[in-house]
Amino acid sequence: MQKKQGVKGFFSKLYRYRIFLLMLLPAVVYTLIFSYYPMTGIVMAFKKYNYADGILGSPWCGLDNFKFFFKSGQAGLVTRNTVLYNLVFIAFNTIFQIAVAIFLTEINNKHFRKTAQSLMFLPYFISWVIVGVMAFNIFSSDYGFLNTLITGLGGKRIPFYTNPKAWPFILIFFNIWKNIGYGSVMYLAAIMGIDTSVYEAAAIDGANVFQRIRKVTIPMIMPTTIILLLLAVGGIFKGNFDMFYNLVGNNGLLFNYTDVIDTLTFRALIRSNDFGMAAAIGLFQSVLCFITVIVVNKLVGKYDKDYTLF
Amino acid sequence: MKKKTKQVCALTLSAAMAAGMLAGCGSDSDKGGSDRKESAKNVEGKTYNGVDVSEHVDLKMYLLGERTPDFDAVYDEINKILEDKLNCSVSVDFLSWGEHEKKYSLLFSSQEDFDLIFTATSWGHYEQTVALGGFYPMAEDFIQKYAPQTWETVPEVAWEQAKINGEIYMVPNNQTEFGQDVLAVRGDLMEEYNVKSISNWDEMTEFFKRCAENGIYAVQNGPWYQYFQSQGMGLVGGTPKSGELILYNAEDPEDLDFRCIIDWDGFTDYCKQAKEMADAGCWSPDVLSNEEDRQTGLLTGKTAAMVWNMGTCLTYARQANTENPDWNTTLVDPVSDHPKHANPYINNGVAINKNSKNPERAMMALNEFYTNPEIQDLTMLGIEGKHWEAVGENQYKLLDESGYGLDNNCNWGWKNEKIYRTEYVENRTALDDTYDAVKESFTNNQREDHPYDGFNFNTENVTSQVAAVEAAVDTYYKPLINGLVDDVDQSVKDMKSALESAGIRDILTELDKQAADYVAGKQ
Repeated sequence: MQKKQGVKGFFSKLYRYRIFLLMLLPAVVYTLIFSYYPMTGIVMAFKKYNYADGILGSPWCGLDNFKFFFKSGQAGLVTRNTVLYNLVFIAFNTIFQIAVAIFLTEINNKHFRKTAQSLMFLPYFISWVIVGVMAFNIFSSDYGFLNTLITGLGGKRIPFYTNPKAWPFILIFFNIWKNIGYGSVMYLAAIMGIDTSVYEAAAIDGANVFQRIRKVTIPMIMPTTIILLLLAVGGIFKGNFDMFYNLVGNNGLLFNYTDVIDTLTFRALIRSNDFGMAAAIGLFQSVLCFITVIVVNKLVGKYDKDYTLF
Repeated sequence: MKKKTKQVCALTLSAAMAAGMLAGCGSDSDKGGSDRKESAKNVEGKTYNGVDVSEHVDLKMYLLGERTPDFDAVYDEINKILEDKLNCSVSVDFLSWGEHEKKYSLLFSSQEDFDLIFTATSWGHYEQTVALGGFYPMAEDFIQKYAPQTWETVPEVAWEQAKINGEIYMVPNNQTEFGQDVLAVRGDLMEEYNVKSISNWDEMTEFFKRCAENGIYAVQNGPWYQYFQSQGMGLVGGTPKSGELILYNAEDPEDLDFRCIIDWDGFTDYCKQAKEMADAGCWSPDVLSNEEDRQTGLLTGKTAAMVWNMGTCLTYARQANTENPDWNTTLVDPVSDHPKHANPYINNGVAINKNSKNPERAMMALNEFYTNPEIQDLTMLGIEGKHWEAVGENQYKLLDESGYGLDNNCNWGWKNEKIYRTEYVENRTALDDTYDAVKESFTNNQREDHPYDGFNFNTENVTSQVAAVEAAVDTYYKPLINGLVDDVDQSVKDMKSALESAGIRDILTELDKQAADYVAGKQ
């Protein structure tokens, strides 16, 4: 068949692939409405917003909306906290989720495997609000489970809610606990996709369980791991507001160890309801995330082109 | 043939999916109250206060709080009156206590179609919403024309308080409400610890320490308000952190200086005492993370006292006594050695939405809420015969408030002390006598007017400094006033430098300027 060119070619292709294109349409419309259209709201970051003039009519104010964040004297601290927490979350989540996925595949007892998987999945469905209440009932000085246990054994109470150093561990624990089931499913799927003949070949060559995991499973799920890592890195400047706010709340004593960009912004603007400033912080985070994704993607590309996102 | 069917299926499916998604974007602005369905009835020649109301109008009002089971029944009654007099109806939507901080502003930014909304200075978003242009400005002749009775009833000073840049944006309520909190306290513990009275700061802290020695928490959190009140200080409305950071000497009309807590020695003095009390165990070390209601400690026997306003203290003291008669819970005023001051009238009020299609009718309806005794009774007490019964002309007796809740349906915006009823208590207890005595001592011991009464700070020129201060202050402020820091002096110093770099000095300069203008404008 002769290759058609130009506009006519485009239309004939359009006609030829009409079914596929129609099937694609919902996703395109969805992305346009919920991802691209809201982006016009970015202008709010540079406006002194008021109700009467609306988003487009309000007067411009340059970079004024960004000032409060840097003036607060906490910008460095919360940005550092946000990034460090996210890095630790990503590292621990990845390691634990892969480990769990591998253990689950290596276990032969089907009932045990299914039960374990369900139990680990369960926390994913619990809202952070509930987790916050659970944490309070575990760590509270008066009625907390842990302190009741400690005093019951003759120890001295540990006031967790006035002791900031304990909180990175508590936060990391709850984050892993909540995400482990959901995250491991992805890796489980990747492992299931590995061709069993590879394992058979390894077994014939005399590889034991550990060698099999190290030489076959891990290398084979590397592409999935890297894609998931890249996606996670894309949100590295965004603190998980639900988690930090519900576990820590407005407890100022803990802020040096627990305050992230999102909770700081919430506190700063909850009374004034300044939409412009909130938009400014959102933009600040998004730009930094964008840069991070581009850089990391480039670096991954240097290592192996096939692993990149785009 | 089979292929064709497949194609059709695919087409229909994807079209249906696209349509389903787009449907989500449609507006659902019509989900208001139940009365909206009623067809519009136009009545020829109907007038209200000489204004034509022949066209039927449905109004929508937003209140704060939760809808109680009998709320709709009560508003059905109100709508009968409104239909009759004004040819309009009101449907109500609620912003719950948990969400109003977030959703109040969204109502305006999303251009929601409504007419009336509850507001209040500072805690009820009044200044912020005015600054963003959300409320309908009420000119004097607008009020006089559409709500003449309200114009007469509301004291002139209340209208003055409601003014921002010379314009009125809310109808303030009309009642003498005291801002100062009192203590509901366990009488049996006072006796046991041999504390005869709690009438000033020293006696109160003494009692707190006795509680701690005996292994019971005294209160929920550090008594910062009681401290600065016992020093004669008052809050400056509209400044960051609900005004708690900047104080003025409310008892001396000559003293026009503001005291920011980072400069005021009293604050350091208080924090040291608070640390002493916290270390002794006067309140829980979890105070910063504990989100229990204020009454929980008292009612469960975890704390010996509760701090709240007089009316609420009476309610929970009664409940505590019913559940535990041997507690002998009573009311005390921990700053009885200082004169009192009534809250500004704008502490509750109602505003009209800037985008309201019928601001005139909304104003007329508000006039009815404000000055019609029947509606006043309905909104405050519920339905007569079901929730309460009348005792004489101006008193009521409760029957069963479980379905509605006495004075608890965000009816505070139009409370009018000239017409609302007071409670008739049948079996008086010692607690009721104490309450009356405390109330009388408040009423008889009011302080002189201060030039700053009714002043409210407008943050418009210093928005980024205010946001920065709000962001920075929490790290130090709450731990300090609850006595939870290791080194008070160091922490106060840290807070000072943090607030200064956030721009508190700019705020104070702007405050001085606005306050001077305000005082000058009053004379």
